[in-house]
Amino acid sequence: MTRDRKIKIKDWRENLKQVDIVLIATAIVLVAIGVLALYAMSSGEESDGSYLKKQLVWIFIGLILMVALALFNYSSLRNYIVIIYGANILFLFTVFIKGRVALGAQRWIQVGSFSFQPSELSKILIILTLGAYLAERKGDLSDWRDVLRAVVYMIPPILLIVLQPDLGTALVLVAITIGMLMVAGITPKQILILALVAYLLIGFVIKLDLLQDYQMERLVVFFNPSVDPLGSGYNLRQSMIAIGSGGILGKGLFSNTQSRLNFLPAAVRHTDFIFAVIGEELGFIGSVLVIVIFFLIMSRVIQIAVSSRNHFGLLVATGIGSMWIFQVLVNIGMTIGIMPVTGIPLPFISYGGSAMLVNMASVGLLLSIYRRRWS
Amino acid sequence: MDEIGDTTQARLRIFALTVLAVFAALTIRLWFLQGVQGQEFKRLSEDNRIKQIAIHAPRGQILDRNAKPIVKNRASIILTIEPEKIDNDRLFKKVAKLLQMDQAEVTRKARSQNVNPIEPRTIKQDISPDVVAYFEEHKDEYIGVELEVRSVRDYPLGNIAAHLIGYLGELSDKERAETEFAGYDLGDLVGKGGVEKEYEDLLAGDKGTQFVEVNAAGQLLRVIDKKDAIPGNNIILTLDTDIQASAEKALVKAIARAKRDKFPRASAGAIVVMEPKGEILAMASYPTFDPEMFIGGISQANWSEMIDEKNDYPLNNRAIMSSYPPGSTFKVVSAIAGLKTGVISTGTTFVCRGRWLGLGKQWGKWCWDRSGHGRQSLEGAIRISCDTYFYEVGNMLYKRGENDLQRWARRLGVGSKTGIDLPSEVEGRVPTPAWKKELNKSWVENQQWFPGDTVNMAIGQGDLLATPLQVANMYAALVNGGVLYKPHVVKTVKGLEGRNIYRASPKKGREFDLSQDDLNVIRRGLRRVTLDGTAKGIFTGLPVTVSGKTGTSEVAGKDDYALFVAYAPAEDPKYIISIIVEQGGHGGSTAAPAAREILEDIYSSNDSDEGSKN
Repeated sequence: MTRDRKIKIKDWRENLKQVDIVLIATAIVLVAIGVLALYAMSSGEESDGSYLKKQLVWIFIGLILMVALALFNYSSLRNYIVIIYGANILFLFTVFIKGRVALGAQRWIQVGSFSFQPSELSKILIILTLGAYLAERKGDLSDWRDVLRAVVYMIPPILLIVLQPDLGTALVLVAITIGMLMVAGITPKQILILALVAYLLIGFVIKLDLLQDYQMERLVVFFNPSVDPLGSGYNLRQSMIAIGSGGILGKGLFSNTQSRLNFLPAAVRHTDFIFAVIGEELGFIGSVLVIVIFFLIMSRVIQIAVSSRNHFGLLVATGIGSMWIFQVLVNIGMTIGIMPVTGIPLPFISYGGSAMLVNMASVGLLLSIYRRRWS
Repeated sequence: MDEIGDTTQARLRIFALTVLAVFAALTIRLWFLQGVQGQEFKRLSEDNRIKQIAIHAPRGQILDRNAKPIVKNRASIILTIEPEKIDNDRLFKKVAKLLQMDQAEVTRKARSQNVNPIEPRTIKQDISPDVVAYFEEHKDEYIGVELEVRSVRDYPLGNIAAHLIGYLGELSDKERAETEFAGYDLGDLVGKGGVEKEYEDLLAGDKGTQFVEVNAAGQLLRVIDKKDAIPGNNIILTLDTDIQASAEKALVKAIARAKRDKFPRASAGAIVVMEPKGEILAMASYPTFDPEMFIGGISQANWSEMIDEKNDYPLNNRAIMSSYPPGSTFKVVSAIAGLKTGVISTGTTFVCRGRWLGLGKQWGKWCWDRSGHGRQSLEGAIRISCDTYFYEVGNMLYKRGENDLQRWARRLGVGSKTGIDLPSEVEGRVPTPAWKKELNKSWVENQQWFPGDTVNMAIGQGDLLATPLQVANMYAALVNGGVLYKPHVVKTVKGLEGRNIYRASPKKGREFDLSQDDLNVIRRGLRRVTLDGTAKGIFTGLPVTVSGKTGTSEVAGKDDYALFVAYAPAEDPKYIISIIVEQGGHGGSTAAPAAREILEDIYSSNDSDEGSKN
């Protein structure tokens, strides 16, 4: 073996050290589980498995995006923050002008046979812009004006998403904001005051009847699923039956009677309630496996945040982590009846192109942060 | 490069703990759902997926004693609505119009709560071919509506023995609450009268079940398992449809005859033909009904007719559900009571002067023949149905003060159900001093039992009431050696592959013994009734000897009721016939000819096949 060659191998190894293998592996395993669930569902459907085909296309695009962002120096994004913020608002506006209405909401922009959901994209754009702003505070948010400015930053996109209406995504943005503010140095006292104001505002919103009927209904049904077993509570009930009936070992792949026989409606089982399909087929063992993989990916996110010597990287990683953990909590939580039914997808697993791109992009950003942790 | 402070690291630790808490919460909850409650949810998901659909069991047939079918089954088209359409008022309106039914009725049936919620609700049975044709052409306008073939009752001999057979009707809400109908659904057909009701459990069979996989929309995907229905058992009656037909014909003729003979109010009656050990050979009641009209549910108009007093309640089986003063047919009981208590002997005679003054002048009573019968023996008194003779017997029994007449009436079956295997039998009534006191609880001056009450009862009048079946059974006991058998209409029940699962045998009830001398006197009297007594000439020319007793009973506010009870052959009776025509006048002229007609039919056909009729 020549010396050159040895150096080359060494370089390659050094480069490999810059790549977070566990992060990539866990993300891919989760994506694979989602694909498997879609495949299992496609067997019993009249549909030609078009969900699966479309999802595979999105995954492919997502992987390219991930690699591109991993190679890209995320820090340079700080220079385009104004543009990113502006683009976010612009995208969110377009749904009102050219949006496709589905499920009683205007959330999508149609491009060919694919539709795109700007509110999903908004999540990562918000993380970048809020991260850039908070990074300048360098871990000190003791000045109220800094906190308020951050909050004011967040109001336009959240409001636009609420108006679509897409309560679930708006809640994710709120969760991202809270997570990032916490790590950025907000004090417990400030959190308490903000919470109080938010509480009063929500009370005000309900009082003025600003929520859509179906949104109120979903909240009511969450707190008491038996009020309407065939209406809004139906999905929740059937989801719990699906997961519960999986037992310890599950009914086995392709043995999902709850979704195959449409007890879990097609409209939700590929997206919001996909965990119910996994729970039914793979049982407690499989469900916990999914949770363990999410735990692994979250531990990587936290590790990347900790290792970052750069406030921007740390905050972006925290934002992504907040987004994922909140979505995991609310999505799985709602399928097992401990969270309201809000229509938040399960990261990497739920069917949905926009969400897949955003999650893969997030992995790309995390890889980029990891690679440049010493810089 | 930014400086990351220790406080930021500490905050990240809080974030990490939050993440840990989330995963812990989710895992615990999952364990609760899948580990702890897993079995229960598994059951719920199976309940979701697997539905049970009832398979109706063919109902058993009803045949006469010679295996001639009276009730069979035929296929009928029924219209059903799927239960998930229960909120579709527009559809109900269309269906109501299609079937010419009341919309409220359609709605009620479609929304009925069934044991099997997925099973289509029956809206109407026996859909006519016109409606079927129209429906098939416009099927897509009636989503959720289906036509289905189900078996319904078929009556190859028409409405023969309608009262005895009974009819079917839909199980009512009230009935469904009873334990006997535990496995039934609302809308299932059950026996509502007669043998159909009495033997419901044997006729109905057991429903089968189809276990099918359904999707959330309730669509049937595949059959997972199936439990076949077990058909109902066939019932062989003691009834002879030939005798039944002649009894029904004779009854109609008797009523017509009464009307012709200046008894225009005659409109109802009953006939029982039985053999001496309780097998019912015929049981006719008039007016009658057609069980066919109950198929597919009786119409409101028909039902109103059935329960209108003006029509004499055609559903009423008068042979067992109506009781009448037995009149002179009861005189044999008075005779037995007199003989058994010793107040008279076979040689005792009384003089009939037309008016009997045994209770004093003010309580004088007429014999039916006001010119008087002169001196009469017991045999002669029975022959010409002398009231005076039995007034004397009644008076002597009264004087004994031990209610002997009542006791003997009861021993011969009056005042208690015969126990026949048909529903809704009545007891009749044997009046006693205690009964009268109780009846007039709030009317003190009427509480006293007078000698006249017993005297009246001795000729079968007063408050005494007996059903035509009780009268027949009374005479059966007289000729079969003193045994009151329990009458029955079912001979055998045949289960799967013709296996006998039940065979009726004579069931003895109360018994009494009468000396051969006593019995001979009474039977000689009864024989003479048809020879030279109150039914003289009516049975002449028959190939069989007939004994009998006429009865003409008075009912307040009505024309006399005509009764006749006969047995033949007189020496070794095989048939006992009990006849009543309400407001039909004289037993001899109205009722007795009906007995002749029945016997004539029996014995003319017996000429050819004597052996087959036991």
